[in-house]
Amino acid sequence: MRAGNPPPLCHKDGVTQTPFLACRNVQLSLGGRPVLAGIDLAVPAGTLVALVGASGAGKTSLLRLINRLLDPDAGTIAIEGQDIASRDSVAVRRGIGHAVQGGGLFPHWTVADNITAVPWLLGWPRAQRQARALELMAMLELPTRLAMRFPHELSGGQASRVGLARALAASPRLLLLDEPFGALDPETRDALADRLLALHRAQGLTTLIVTHDLADALLRADLMLVLDQGQIVASGPPAAIVAHPHPAVQALLAAPLAQARAIAGLVPR
Amino acid sequence: MSGPEIAALSGALAAHLGISAAALLLAVLVATPLVLLMPARPWLRRWVMGLASVVQTVPALALLALFFPLLVLVRNLTGLPVPSLGLLPSLLALALYALLPLLRGGAGGLAAIPDGVREAARAIGMTAWQRLFHVELSLAAPVVFGGLRTAAVWTIGAATLATMVGQESLGDLIFAGLQLQDWRQVLLGCATAAGLAMIVDAGLGLVETGIARRRRGPALVGLLVLALLGAGVMGWWWHSRPVSRARPVVIGTKTFSEQYILAELIAADLRRGGQPVAIRSGLGSGIAFQSVVAGGIDVGIDYSGTLWTQALGRSDVMPRAAMLAILRRDLKARYRVTIAARLGFENAYALAMKRDAAERLGVKRISDLARVAPQLRLATDLEFQSRAEWAALQRAYGLRFAAMRAYTPVLMMAAVGDGSADVITAYSSDGALSTADVVLLADDRGALPAYDALLVVAPGRDALARQLARYDGRIPVAAMRAANWRADRPDNKQSPAAAARWLARETGLE
Repeated sequence: MRAGNPPPLCHKDGVTQTPFLACRNVQLSLGGRPVLAGIDLAVPAGTLVALVGASGAGKTSLLRLINRLLDPDAGTIAIEGQDIASRDSVAVRRGIGHAVQGGGLFPHWTVADNITAVPWLLGWPRAQRQARALELMAMLELPTRLAMRFPHELSGGQASRVGLARALAASPRLLLLDEPFGALDPETRDALADRLLALHRAQGLTTLIVTHDLADALLRADLMLVLDQGQIVASGPPAAIVAHPHPAVQALLAAPLAQARAIAGLVPR
Repeated sequence: MSGPEIAALSGALAAHLGISAAALLLAVLVATPLVLLMPARPWLRRWVMGLASVVQTVPALALLALFFPLLVLVRNLTGLPVPSLGLLPSLLALALYALLPLLRGGAGGLAAIPDGVREAARAIGMTAWQRLFHVELSLAAPVVFGGLRTAAVWTIGAATLATMVGQESLGDLIFAGLQLQDWRQVLLGCATAAGLAMIVDAGLGLVETGIARRRRGPALVGLLVLALLGAGVMGWWWHSRPVSRARPVVIGTKTFSEQYILAELIAADLRRGGQPVAIRSGLGSGIAFQSVVAGGIDVGIDYSGTLWTQALGRSDVMPRAAMLAILRRDLKARYRVTIAARLGFENAYALAMKRDAAERLGVKRISDLARVAPQLRLATDLEFQSRAEWAALQRAYGLRFAAMRAYTPVLMMAAVGDGSADVITAYSSDGALSTADVVLLADDRGALPAYDALLVVAPGRDALARQLARYDGRIPVAAMRAANWRADRPDNKQSPAAAARWLARETGLE
């Protein structure tokens, strides 16, 4: 994609519409090193987008730009048609659900306080925060007795659920998830990914998820973006990505596809 | 404990807690912005931590002492009335000393916060202040408080040394006790300081637990412990302080028995006349006179030869009467200090030898000593070798010894007794001279000035000076030696107050 090209995927159900999230020629370098070189992107509302690519491709930086944790050197990012650079960065962040890499739970806050961090920042009354914490814990299948525990008392799966709950707490319309299930065993990861997909659909969220789990991306995302050296080298629904000829895409897919074939060969007919 | 003893302990304890708390507060106020600014500025971190580490390598006593000339310099450069003794130098030195553990704790605590937690705090939309208070500071609390507790314990310990620069503290008991070999008093001072440190440490520990676990209970209990400690110490001091509200006459003493005894003698006298009196004991030799000049002390006991060389900076030797006349005139003109009385005895620097050795070597005078000195070992007090008197002796007699070693004054007599030294510096009013088998060697070339004991009175206290004039010529050297021996002798030792009562009876000063 190059600057000036029409943004991809502006169509849904054959109707042209304003994309929920749009990036135009976004460029970023950190410490003199180019990180993102001209990102153009348009995400319709309600889409589950998977960002994949090798480490250092710029996936995390793109999420941080969208949440205004960084400002681009050039280009614009707009949410629902409004340029985020024109808004107060703190207000932008409180309106977006962002689960950072590694979870980033506050170790000295209880599970309930962690979950309702953004409502607390927004000044919700205590009773309402408590009710919201319990509601989200139920939604993410976290036992109520964990509410007053501290993060170090949780299992990896429970901590991931709390991180997800914190991102969802103030009912954002845009969810940014940076490897939310990174350190989990495959079974837990799969269950949690299904839960997330259900929540995403039920609440009409627009979700960007950075993942190294190609199977997860291929099986659940509406749209996949493949980043390589700061550029989007392929974008489209999973079926299109699998057939994409770009060498970076094929390199990414080679290992999981070979594994899937090998496993299929083992299964008795 | 007697009434005055309790008043002294409670006063020292209150002053000790006060100076420690003030120094710690000052250090926290300085360290906090530095800790917050350092993470983003590696150059600042390098400089500040390097400087704090260097400060830590300076012994606490030297740091306290260094603030005296520093503040004098500031006063001379700016012309502002900056006090160079007592509270200010103690506060600054102790605060500086507390800085390193606070900075280490603060910087370490902030550095230990995982990057993911910082990132999450920004990502959910916390403002910079919210991140600071709700995430960074409260997460860093255990390490920060660890530093604070270390700093508090150090400060309370080092504050005992503030006595040497004229700040009242528990060190008053320790230094006076060491000099008088009154181990009960030393132990009382040490144990009280240690107890204070332990209670403060425990209180801060509870506050730390509370903050780290975000539980209000332990934090409140910890604060309560600290508040009760402060209130208790202040209440005790208030309750047991002398009843009179009038400003007491403050008598200062250097660190040896004669000074303690004379201070008690004058104090008892003034108290009989209805005047409240406080004794500030254990001041460094030079600092005692400076305190009189500054008015922190109303009455000091000093010696003409010492003032001649140290206060007037003179190295010539003059007949006693002429020297005293010049001292009266110049101390008044330069420092506005009045010499209220010449007590009547001399406490001169002298050289002494064991009687049998002196007879065997045929040494009666210092000029005899010069002949055999290269085979002998000299033991001096801690300051003699850097004083003008030693230079004068070397000039006049060409003295050169086989070895020279510095001792605490109380140990010098023992050094010549057990044979680890052949010649010692002695003080002519030393009580041990009345019994020990040593002879003083005559200064036959008149190299040393006279050391008449004098009462010096602070500027503007003329009535007090007139009142003290009655001591002029009243204390002969034999009486002073005997009184000193009562306080110094190894057996049947008397307190300075008891020795002072004996001296008053003996000299008719009751």
